Amino acid sequence: MALTTAHQSAGAEANSATSGRPARKPRESGRLRRQEGRAGYVFLSPWLLGLMAITAFPMLFSLYLSFTNYDVLASWDQVEWVGLDNYQRMFTEDPSYWHAVRVTLTYALIAVPLKLAAALGVALLLNRERRGVGLFRSLFYLPSLLGGSVALALVWRAMFSGDGAFNDLLSLFGIEGAPWVNDPTWALETLMVLAVWQFGAPMVIFLAGLKQVPTDLYEAAAVDGAGKFRQFWNITLPMLSPVIFFNLVLETINGFQGFTSAFVISNGTGGPVYSTLLYTLHIYNEGFTEFRMGYASALSWVFLIAIGLITVVFFSTGRFWVHYSDGEN
Amino acid sequence: MHPATPPTAGMPAVPVHRTPVPRRRLFRGLIAAAVALPLAFGTAACGDDESSSDPNAPVTIEFFWWGGESRAKATEEALKLYTSKHPNVTITPTWQAFDGYYDKLATISAGGNAPDIFQIDDNNLTDYASRRVTLDLTDLVKDGKIDLSKHHAELTKYGQVDGKQVAIASGENTPAIVYDKTKLAELGVSEPQEGWSYQQYFDWAAQVTQKGGGKYWGTMDISSDYKALWLWLRTQGKEFYNGKQLGFTEADLVTWFKLWQEARTKGATPPADIVHEAVTGSVSTQLVVTGKAAVSFMWSNQLSELQKATKNELAMLPYPGDVKGQWPRASLYWAGSRTTEHPEVVADIINFLVNDPEAAKILGTDRGLPANLDVRETLEADISDNSMKATFAFENGLASKFGAAPPVPPKGHNGLRNKLRDIAESVTYGKATPEAAAKQFFAEASAALA
Amino acid sequence: MAVQAATVTGRGSSGALRGVVRIVILVAILGFVLYPLLWMLGSSLKSPTEVASNLSVLPTEPTWANYPDGWSYIDGISFGRFFLNSTVIALATVVANAVSCLVAAFAFARLHFRGRKVWFAIMIATLLLPSHVLIIPQYVMFNYFGWVDTPLPLIVPRLLATEAFFVFLMVQFMRGIPRELDHAAKIDGCSPYGVFRYVILPLSRPALVTTAIFSFIWTWNDFFTQLVYLPSPTSYTVPIGLRLFIDSTGQTSLGPMFAMSALSLLPVFLFFLAFQRLLVQGINTSGLKG
Repeated sequence: MALTTAHQSAGAEANSATSGRPARKPRESGRLRRQEGRAGYVFLSPWLLGLMAITAFPMLFSLYLSFTNYDVLASWDQVEWVGLDNYQRMFTEDPSYWHAVRVTLTYALIAVPLKLAAALGVALLLNRERRGVGLFRSLFYLPSLLGGSVALALVWRAMFSGDGAFNDLLSLFGIEGAPWVNDPTWALETLMVLAVWQFGAPMVIFLAGLKQVPTDLYEAAAVDGAGKFRQFWNITLPMLSPVIFFNLVLETINGFQGFTSAFVISNGTGGPVYSTLLYTLHIYNEGFTEFRMGYASALSWVFLIAIGLITVVFFSTGRFWVHYSDGEN
Repeated sequence: MHPATPPTAGMPAVPVHRTPVPRRRLFRGLIAAAVALPLAFGTAACGDDESSSDPNAPVTIEFFWWGGESRAKATEEALKLYTSKHPNVTITPTWQAFDGYYDKLATISAGGNAPDIFQIDDNNLTDYASRRVTLDLTDLVKDGKIDLSKHHAELTKYGQVDGKQVAIASGENTPAIVYDKTKLAELGVSEPQEGWSYQQYFDWAAQVTQKGGGKYWGTMDISSDYKALWLWLRTQGKEFYNGKQLGFTEADLVTWFKLWQEARTKGATPPADIVHEAVTGSVSTQLVVTGKAAVSFMWSNQLSELQKATKNELAMLPYPGDVKGQWPRASLYWAGSRTTEHPEVVADIINFLVNDPEAAKILGTDRGLPANLDVRETLEADISDNSMKATFAFENGLASKFGAAPPVPPKGHNGLRNKLRDIAESVTYGKATPEAAAKQFFAEASAALA
Repeated sequence: MAVQAATVTGRGSSGALRGVVRIVILVAILGFVLYPLLWMLGSSLKSPTEVASNLSVLPTEPTWANYPDGWSYIDGISFGRFFLNSTVIALATVVANAVSCLVAAFAFARLHFRGRKVWFAIMIATLLLPSHVLIIPQYVMFNYFGWVDTPLPLIVPRLLATEAFFVFLMVQFMRGIPRELDHAAKIDGCSPYGVFRYVILPLSRPALVTTAIFSFIWTWNDFFTQLVYLPSPTSYTVPIGLRLFIDSTGQTSLGPMFAMSALSLLPVFLFFLAFQRLLVQGINTSGLKG
């Protein structure tokens, strides 16, 4: 869902600074200003209501639930306050929890860099091309539109089964493949391939970023005798670093939120042997198949805090390696 | 998501008819929720209803079950027969495939709108009863509104939770192995025998694998299935549950895992990934259907469904091990909703479905053998269908050998059996030793059953 | 631009060779990208016996039979119902998103009022909020309203501009509309409502179209929320209907599964064909420029 959200948000920060400048004339009367202030809240009211009712209240409610044993079937008078039990259970008595943490981290740490590397690589190749760029760009982008669907996950499941098309392909080269999705060693890797396959969206963003790198920088570097690699390292990467940063934040958060492919490929179990038990799948199973909603709320809150921390880490380390051209550079 | 082995859960068949959910409480408003959510809702829907004193007042009953199309046809027909005899009663039937059934039941129950009558199985009964979703039928049985005098006593007992009659068995079935007669004849291997120990059974299965020539195996690996483990425990005088705790020890579980470990080394079972494909229990993925193994572990009333999915001739036997481990199990139950406005009508309909000979004839053995023994006898004399006959023969053959029925599995069982599936698979895949796996299961169990 | 830079260093035959190598690599990547889609299409045209034995893309004897088979694969309910449900939900979402996000974006982009910066920062924060965190309490809440098993939990939040991405996209877009137009309108006596009605609304059409397209595609592909809120088969959407194929890997169901999968992607693919430039731009405009 939040396919393209993060890089925009990062862009937003840059923008909100500039848009804060009031364009209003000082002579404007107080009455008009008040009218505009009122109108502002009128226009904002649906969003504000949504923020309160659909986001803020549920968050607080979920925090409350995380300290209870609430399950869907029980009536409210059966709900008990259990203190930190849910959190304690998570860290000490739920082995699946640690499987979920490990699987999710592995998935995000490997799939996200691979996907970004693929996106950047292809963008660099395309950037050099004169003809057919539009066509290539569109076709490479297609999987990003389709890849999150149940249909593609079903196709992946069929392609990467023991007697699926991928092994058929391998057998042409005399290789006997594994049962991929039914093999705990390979099932998660299969999901990663599906993620990398959707490199199109970050690629499009990289391409646009590359177009904004001033060509005279390369020319100057070439005159100085810098080789291709040096140019890439000293010019392209720094110039592109804001875009890389946006893509990284975006894709990491997306990576942590993967659900559909793991659900479909493991038939909702996170198997074989927990190998595809993404954190979100664990939340879903605890909350909606076991109906331990209190526990699932606790899981959600820890998830939220973890993602919050990761975002903070990104933004606080970002200033050491992200170069904004209108800033210090 | 439902790796369950539902009794007779059909192919991804499905659904339909009107939703039994009554008037939604639409538009209570987001604000109302923000102010006062966590308070008293669940039961607000119902109150005392004076109309129940008038036996001829019009009554509408919602009725919900899962299954395939043939079950739907029979059930609807039986319900029509009831309404033709009780014109003041209108029944709204709703059915769907097993997939998602419990999601929906939980959802509507949570809103205090559980259907007046619904189908449930022993994996979920205690969960629903202990959360007070089900109607307590004890007094209705005592008053004779539901007549259980002719019912198999063990089946009646298997519908009780904490001393209350919370559900009425709609049929009886038993776990069974289903084997491929045609293929065995082709391979020149004799058929398996009732009463074999697991050792004998594995030796036989290894022989099948050997003759199968590489891509065909003797038996499904059922080490991850709670009922196989349960039956095996019972042959040793133990139980899966003892009240709200496990009735066996970590050492027992290690022995069980090692038993299957041996079968694996002997070559009796297929590689883990092939076992994994069939572990969901759905008919179309069973190894006797996909032609990868000679034996699948199913329910006695699923024979006809499996038979429809393959050209080879199938036959049925009890699980390996002493038959006394088996018990007359309620395949499915009828339960009422605690929030129903018409408990007596609910009782009367359930009574009709389980005791009326005509209704029994319509329903056949789709939900297992009738619980009422008189009705069972009449039905047996009446039927012509071959698969129904086979089910009868199978259950009758076991009747005298059954052990006593255990109590219904406790609250938390449904989650725990999924844990067993996942943990046992880690042994199958060689990712954990039997000892480590057993230890993990016991850790999970204490949390799941708490 | 960058192209010229590249050619500064390598001209002549080695440069031409490099160009050929590049094309070959790009085409190879294209093969990797398109293969699963083509394989799905090809497999949807294979007969039940062929689908298990022939694993290549092309069917030897193409047949359409899987399409009608898949359409009525589920006893008693057809995929038509799922498509109808999906369409209704997707279209409602499109309208809800377009209206509510436009209104909110106008406030953020064009009006001055106390607390605007704080609200804007909060809006940006909600962009990063994972939906899985809210699903349990929202579910409890909607269940309390009796909304589960209706499309309401999927549509009502959209009416309240909870899809922050689109609010943000439109804010970015509106910032590109010259402020002089607002001033002119104000001088003509327009209130903020008038400015919205006569200036911003007509000029925001491209942003609305982008929002509509992405709303449709994302809702069409969405699985998680629909899985949670639509438990009855009669209210299933296409992705949830497709899920019923998960548990049946028998030969007989593979063909219909591919057929329905292909069919489910068709609307998205048509959108892609019709609006590919807009889609690609939509990704860019909101983030990098603006």
